[in-house]
Amino acid sequence: MSNHLVVDDLTVAFDSGGYVIKPLDGLSFTAEDGELVVLLGPSGCGKTTLLSCLAGLLTPTGGRIRFGAVAVEELRGPALTEYRRRTVGVVFQAFNLIASLTARGNVVVPMRLGGVPRHAAKARAGELLELVGLGERSHHRPAQLSGGQQQRVAIARALVHDPPLILADEPTAHLDHIQVEGILRLLRDLASPGRIIVVSTHDDRVSQLADRVIELAPHFSDADRPPEEVALAAGETLFRQGERGELIYHVESGLLEVYRELADGGREVLARVVPGNYVGELGPILNLPRSASVRALEASVVVGYTVRAFRQDHPHQVIELAAP
Amino acid sequence: MLAVTFADLWFRARQFLIAVIGVGLVLALALALSGLVDGFHAEAAESIDAVGATSWVMASAAEGRVTAFAAFPQADLSAVAREPGVRRATAILFAPAQVVLVSGTATPQTVNLVGVQRGGLGDPQVASGHGLSGGAEAVVDSKLAAPPGSILHLGGHGYPVVGTVDDRTMTGGVPLVYMPLAAVQRAVTGGKPLITAVATTGTPTSVPAGLVVLPPSAVVSDTVGQLRTAVASIDNTRWLMWLVAAAIVASMLYVAALERKRDFAVLKALGSSSRTLFLSLVLEAVVVTLLAAVLAEFLASALTPLFAQPIDITPDTRLVLPLVAVTVGIVASITALRRVTGADPATAFG
Repeated sequence: MSNHLVVDDLTVAFDSGGYVIKPLDGLSFTAEDGELVVLLGPSGCGKTTLLSCLAGLLTPTGGRIRFGAVAVEELRGPALTEYRRRTVGVVFQAFNLIASLTARGNVVVPMRLGGVPRHAAKARAGELLELVGLGERSHHRPAQLSGGQQQRVAIARALVHDPPLILADEPTAHLDHIQVEGILRLLRDLASPGRIIVVSTHDDRVSQLADRVIELAPHFSDADRPPEEVALAAGETLFRQGERGELIYHVESGLLEVYRELADGGREVLARVVPGNYVGELGPILNLPRSASVRALEASVVVGYTVRAFRQDHPHQVIELAAP
Repeated sequence: MLAVTFADLWFRARQFLIAVIGVGLVLALALALSGLVDGFHAEAAESIDAVGATSWVMASAAEGRVTAFAAFPQADLSAVAREPGVRRATAILFAPAQVVLVSGTATPQTVNLVGVQRGGLGDPQVASGHGLSGGAEAVVDSKLAAPPGSILHLGGHGYPVVGTVDDRTMTGGVPLVYMPLAAVQRAVTGGKPLITAVATTGTPTSVPAGLVVLPPSAVVSDTVGQLRTAVASIDNTRWLMWLVAAAIVASMLYVAALERKRDFAVLKALGSSSRTLFLSLVLEAVVVTLLAAVLAEFLASALTPLFAQPIDITPDTRLVLPLVAVTVGIVASITALRRVTGADPATAFG
């Protein structure tokens, strides 16, 4: 069976304390059968949100996900349950094994939920634990296993129905370098015809193993880039909340307003920025989406600097991590 | 999910054991209270049935209570005895709540005094000593702790105890003291020939004005009826016991559900439904309450001697207990329902 993953214009927005948060905003990518796909990006860039959508655990606000012939975002009820059981195998960041069950018990659970007879489920669990190198420790509880071993159990659990799509959320996050090597080798081996592996990570070394790398946060160049002047008409928006940007803006003339877009469609004014001050430094420094929008209240001129250029040109201005 | 359920029970064995003991103790107390209520009925039935009458003729003012002191002339006995269908008729004078002092003791005790005719219905069959011979003597229930040979002081007179009977109490464990009718009339009515009941075999078709004919079962239920306030209080307490049991299980389950929040999210992500997870919790609760019910059966037997009143835990009550336990378990599970249904499978990633 050949599978093909298509993510098209995927958007997830939610209300967080009255503010609109968009961890994913118009994301598109494809993956071919047999590929190991790495979702790369820092914390908060939407990797886990994307995996949740792919796993059928989160319904996106907009866009579509096609896995083979299945429109994942349209699945509901029993069809969605069946998709979660049979089509997707998930390896969670914190292993998420059931503490009361043995390694084998943890692998058996999804099979029993899927109606596999007890003896068949136990036999299959034994095979999978052998596959991940834990045949000898199948009767140990998670607390008796190392982080790497727990992650192997989690991978074995994800493989029980031989799903064509395996999602691994930061599978190396809690492991030492020896365990990391083993887990990555296992995931690499699992990426074979009939199966797509999607791995999220903030560690770009993992991307060396990938057939395809999806960067969820744009990689801004550290190279010097000349400042760029931007002229804004009254009411014109400089940047929007949730966008990513690499420039810090210094106000030369005019008047800017910093505001947050609220979930109910309203806006909350945070500050007004007058000439001589700057705005929009937090996103570029931390590589995070803009946490507020900025617009001109009157005809204004601003100059955009990269972080490095801003520090060079305005050494007397201390960047505070309090404004957007 | 059965494997997950029992693995979790085993994993939290200590937590569940504490709940089993707590709930077991509460259920045992509830069982004992049920036995107490049944005991009121059982003691009255045993004492009234022991008379051997098929009908009771009593003053209508007594409302069917053998323990009510509603007296009528002993002369009415003849009228009843003459009734066609009556094979045997015996006068009884029941004087409730009389205070006696047993020789060699310092504490007065309350007894129910029963005046009977020698050889008639109600004349007790003794378990030790000998029966009433007609003089000023007494046969007492063994609970009074007055062995044959001791003296019973009542109203300034001493009555030698000549025999004892077992399980003859009424009105919540108050022992019966049988004496010749004339002796009781002397002690209670000043010697006036008054009685409170005529016990018969065979049923009279008519009785003198002011008297009624009742079957023994009606006399038993009417007699127990005088305790209805006490029974209602005990019943309310028993309900509270069920509630306490449910509260213990509910709090244990709630804590377990909080601890398993991540597990629920993971199991949902693996394809489990909220319904399956909830049923798993219900099963845990029912297992705990059923184990507690088994423990309660043993504990209740151990607790029985601690009660002064007769405790009669009937087989029916013992059979009902597991059903109550299952109900308690199901009701208690509801507290954790929201934790299960509210578990978001997407949080398994977080």
